[in-house]
Amino acid sequence: MIGSVFLETYKQTWKQMVYWGGGLAAMALMVVLMVPLFDMQDIKDLLQTFPPIILAMVGIGKELEIFATNEGFVAMGFFGKSALIFAVYPVVMGMRITANEEDAGTMDLLLSLPVQRARVIVEKFLAYSVSIVGVVLLIYLGMQIGVSIAGIDLDVARLAEVTFYLIPMMVFIMAVTVLIAVIVRRRSVALGIVTAFVIASYMLQAIGAVAEGTVAEPIGSISFLTYYNAGDILTQGFIWPHIAGFLVVSALLLLASLYQYERRDIAV
Amino acid sequence: MASATVIEISSLSKTYGSGSQQTAALRNLNLSVNQGEIFGYLGPNGAGKTTTIRMLLDLIRPSSGSASIFGMDVRDHSVEIHKRVGFLPGELSLWEGRTGQQIIHYVASVRGDTKGITKQADELAKRLQLDTSKRVRDLSSGNKRKLGLVLAMMHSPDLLILDEPTNGLDPLVQQTFHEMMDEFRDKGKTVFLSSHILSEVQAICDRAGILRDGDLKAVESIEKLMNVEFHWVDVQFRDVVPEGLARQLQQASAISHVDVNGSRVKMRLVGDFDPLLRMLGDGYVKDLRVEEPSLEEIFLAYYSDGTEVR
Repeated sequence: MIGSVFLETYKQTWKQMVYWGGGLAAMALMVVLMVPLFDMQDIKDLLQTFPPIILAMVGIGKELEIFATNEGFVAMGFFGKSALIFAVYPVVMGMRITANEEDAGTMDLLLSLPVQRARVIVEKFLAYSVSIVGVVLLIYLGMQIGVSIAGIDLDVARLAEVTFYLIPMMVFIMAVTVLIAVIVRRRSVALGIVTAFVIASYMLQAIGAVAEGTVAEPIGSISFLTYYNAGDILTQGFIWPHIAGFLVVSALLLLASLYQYERRDIAV
Repeated sequence: MASATVIEISSLSKTYGSGSQQTAALRNLNLSVNQGEIFGYLGPNGAGKTTTIRMLLDLIRPSSGSASIFGMDVRDHSVEIHKRVGFLPGELSLWEGRTGQQIIHYVASVRGDTKGITKQADELAKRLQLDTSKRVRDLSSGNKRKLGLVLAMMHSPDLLILDEPTNGLDPLVQQTFHEMMDEFRDKGKTVFLSSHILSEVQAICDRAGILRDGDLKAVESIEKLMNVEFHWVDVQFRDVVPEGLARQLQQASAISHVDVNGSRVKMRLVGDFDPLLRMLGDGYVKDLRVEEPSLEEIFLAYYSDGTEVR
């Protein structure tokens, strides 16, 4: 029956979604509650004293003005420094699509049923994508609760844009993970490669940001994190070409995964 | 009576690794299994049994050759084939955090008939005395195996592919399993059963194939295999081995490999025990031990020099 793998995957995952979403929501709540404790002008002055490499590593580019606002503080304090944390959940979920099931041996039983390999991957991918949406919704909820408790003036719509922008990026990371797991087969090796990919992307983004205006600037454009920049989203709102880019590349990676998985042996 | 061919395997080979690391897990396998028979696929661990089964289920792809089930190629028509096949893996892994009932429901929903299949599953679980309300992680290995059998049989498949099905099952449940297999065959359905336990294959199978190091050495009816059956007999006398007994044993056609050591004599006996017991009549037998031959020994006995033992 169409959707049965999707439903079962979701049933097996919703608790993790709540735990991860709850944890990240608590972090977002704490950052929002900290807003009234700081003078944003002091923050701006402080930031100006930091070397560009440090600012780049927490996701702050040249637009320091925006970070001297309440929204900017939250964006810097939560979305900027948490880029690597947001990558963990989609990597964990991506590994579950094929690698964990093969490693545990449950894939043999599943694929002995009348179901195509492609259907298994697609339904699981969709179920985990829904769980990513759930995690992001919980983060937004945590932020909203923080705003209510702190009673601060915050452009909630802009923060919502920064928050929901996470979804295409996290789906992209999951798609990368699935493809690597499908190619490499061995779970531990796949996990190592994905981790290296995320960390390398983080470093490339930082280098690109620091090297702005130099010949090394394009290096940053290789990193997917360049296309999730809290400062840009706060100033420009949704950057649709970037969102479309994440989703289109994710779809292509998924197609490549289906192609490769159809052709290889199921590991034990 | 067996009729149509259910499983047809032609020149099937599987090689793992590449270059100098290459290992042949299965070489040029040709085999047919007919409708309504229980076929035993015998061989020691690592002989290639699971590799064959995984290729039949399209979990791994052959290096060369082909296989078909119900006349359909196992690669091109895997979904259609799997609708009519029930499978029990040798190393059964299930979703640890889910209950038996939840897994039954999941598998039934993938098969597309939750209501009918679940009802059948309940009956099978009752017969195997399996509590499906427990989480998999709380089940013993025997109960996990029972759940695996329920999952394999609950949709009334036309073909059962079972990899070491009785591993971990207690003798009473093994008996129930044997009855279930007989009933399955009586309905004209087919079973492809891998095992390294000769007695199990003898008890329920009609024919058996013997696999060794990736080569199918022979396919024989169980009746023929039974004929070659022999035992290792170890007789311990209270005193020394009676005079002349060794010579008498060596002359007996059903006895070979006679080894006399002090008060003890070991031998290989083919067929009935009565002639041996009569020969032992003069001595005081302190202890007598009988050991079943290993599958390897049966195999060697049957095929040594290309001739049968008896």
